[in-house]
Amino acid sequence: MSRMSMSAILFRSLIHRRARCLSALIALTVSAAVATALLTLYADLDSKLHREFRSFGANIVITAADTSKGLPADALTQVHAAAGADAQAAEFAYAVATTDRGTPVVVAGTDFDAVKKLNSSWQADAWPAGSEAANAALLGQRAAQFVADEHNVQLTFSGHPITLHGVGRLHTGGDEDSRIYLPLAALTAWTGAAPSVIEVQVPGDARKIEATIARLQQVMPSTKVEPVRQLVEGESRIVDKTHALMYGAVLLIALTVAVSVLATLSASVLERRRDFALMKALGGSQTTLMLLFLLEALTLALGGVVAGYVLGSAAALAISQLNFHTATLPRLGVLPLVLLLNLVIATLASFFPVRVLRGLEPAALLKGE
Amino acid sequence: MENLTDLETRPDCAVIALNGVTREYSGRAGVVRALEDASFSIVAGEWVAITGPSGSGKSTLVNLIGCLDRPTRGELFIDGVNTASLSPTELDRFRADKVGFIFQQFHLIPYLSALENVMLAQYFHSMTDEKEARAALERVGLGHRAEHLPSELSGGEQQRVCIARALINHPPILLADEPTGNLDAANQKIVAELLQNLHAQGHTIVMVTHDPEMAALAQRRIALSHGKVFCHPVSGPVVSLRK
Repeated sequence: MSRMSMSAILFRSLIHRRARCLSALIALTVSAAVATALLTLYADLDSKLHREFRSFGANIVITAADTSKGLPADALTQVHAAAGADAQAAEFAYAVATTDRGTPVVVAGTDFDAVKKLNSSWQADAWPAGSEAANAALLGQRAAQFVADEHNVQLTFSGHPITLHGVGRLHTGGDEDSRIYLPLAALTAWTGAAPSVIEVQVPGDARKIEATIARLQQVMPSTKVEPVRQLVEGESRIVDKTHALMYGAVLLIALTVAVSVLATLSASVLERRRDFALMKALGGSQTTLMLLFLLEALTLALGGVVAGYVLGSAAALAISQLNFHTATLPRLGVLPLVLLLNLVIATLASFFPVRVLRGLEPAALLKGE
Repeated sequence: MENLTDLETRPDCAVIALNGVTREYSGRAGVVRALEDASFSIVAGEWVAITGPSGSGKSTLVNLIGCLDRPTRGELFIDGVNTASLSPTELDRFRADKVGFIFQQFHLIPYLSALENVMLAQYFHSMTDEKEARAALERVGLGHRAEHLPSELSGGEQQRVCIARALINHPPILLADEPTGNLDAANQKIVAELLQNLHAQGHTIVMVTHDPEMAALAQRRIALSHGKVFCHPVSGPVVSLRK
């Protein structure tokens, strides 16, 4: 770098007015950090929210179109094939039995491993596992009150008794709390009931779910495939609203920062009117002076992007861990957008100061008027 | 030695020539005529003092001669070029070539050293030459203060840096606006001697001043009142000519 060049003048000027520059740099860092954090979270938001929604359970329910015929024997296999590897599915068979206290209760046969994956929000004291699982029962917290001994559950169905080993209680806050769950094979052997419902959880947005429904309906025409409407529409609405909220936040913060930077840059030009007037008197063209000023604003914007990207990525990581319990790693892909945002802010904030520069009258200023 | 009156009749010798120059400003109160029908010329190597009370049009005249402004009417020739014919960009270039400014308040860039302040004029003119800038500072007796910031220099030293900056591009005209107005007596003397030396070396100096002692150093005085040039008596012969 030559001793006297535009970059040398710029560097000295920034150092000399470090308090003023720091104020603009902080404002531009804040805008870049907020934009980085929100855009990083935004990029990961869909998968994060979909993952959250998965804990609410199935978003598709398959039942037999003709209830007297039941589901096809290979229905679950067809569901797995059509819904994709990332889908979760569990089949259920239902019957009404009587407890040893004489209370009617809904008993549901299912695959505990599949249900556990499908409904991660279900809270069970313990899940049946290993050799005991064949004869195990999970008691809904209300259903547990209908049996005499929670560990030795005695039920009767059409005169056929069965004794199950109760492994714990189930808390869902829904209808499941009034049921007793046991392995599908045990229920079928005991009551003869075949699976009548398959619950499916498909990750993705409403469009993906609709597409999966169409596919399932195509491969299993004898069934009724329906979305859990509230969940699918609710998820879509929440994701859209969250996106809009994030866009709004970025815009609002960008505007606030633009006003702050405008004030700082305007003050910076007004403070140095005489310096610029002198440069003009020494032969500096309007273009050179404006370039010098814009370069200064853009340097601060770039500095803000570098610092803001680091801070914003760290904030995104912390927010993600705090709210979604997973890490959102820094995304280089957001950098061009953050850069663009800061450059737009700096350029917009330079309009007024540049007008001041254009209107400078060196003679009057250098005379001290 | 040639007599100034003789030279004034020879337009080819005039480094500054005004012919019916008027400058008007439009404001809320209507049109204000800051300078009216000014006609005079200054020859190369001449030292002219411009005097007059506040509001008499001195600043307007300095703006025009310094190519910081253009006349509303009339012709202003600087080194043979009618400045009215130049575009704003050409005028910036022309100003850097033709005029060296010496300001009452020095106007040094606070974050640049004395040397860099001199080089700044080179930068806006053409190319920087550190060696030449150092030589200019040595010429005003400040070679040893080259790396100092303006805040580390006295008023007199700052004015000498300002003079070195004005000289660095070898302009045909030195335009000094109250060059000693902000200085104490000792520094006033130093700057006055410096200007005398520059004049002796053949520089054309146009100096605005309120100070009768400084005005007396000039060969000629152009007095302004209410925007009109009302007298310009010759006080002495032109010492030397640059052309």
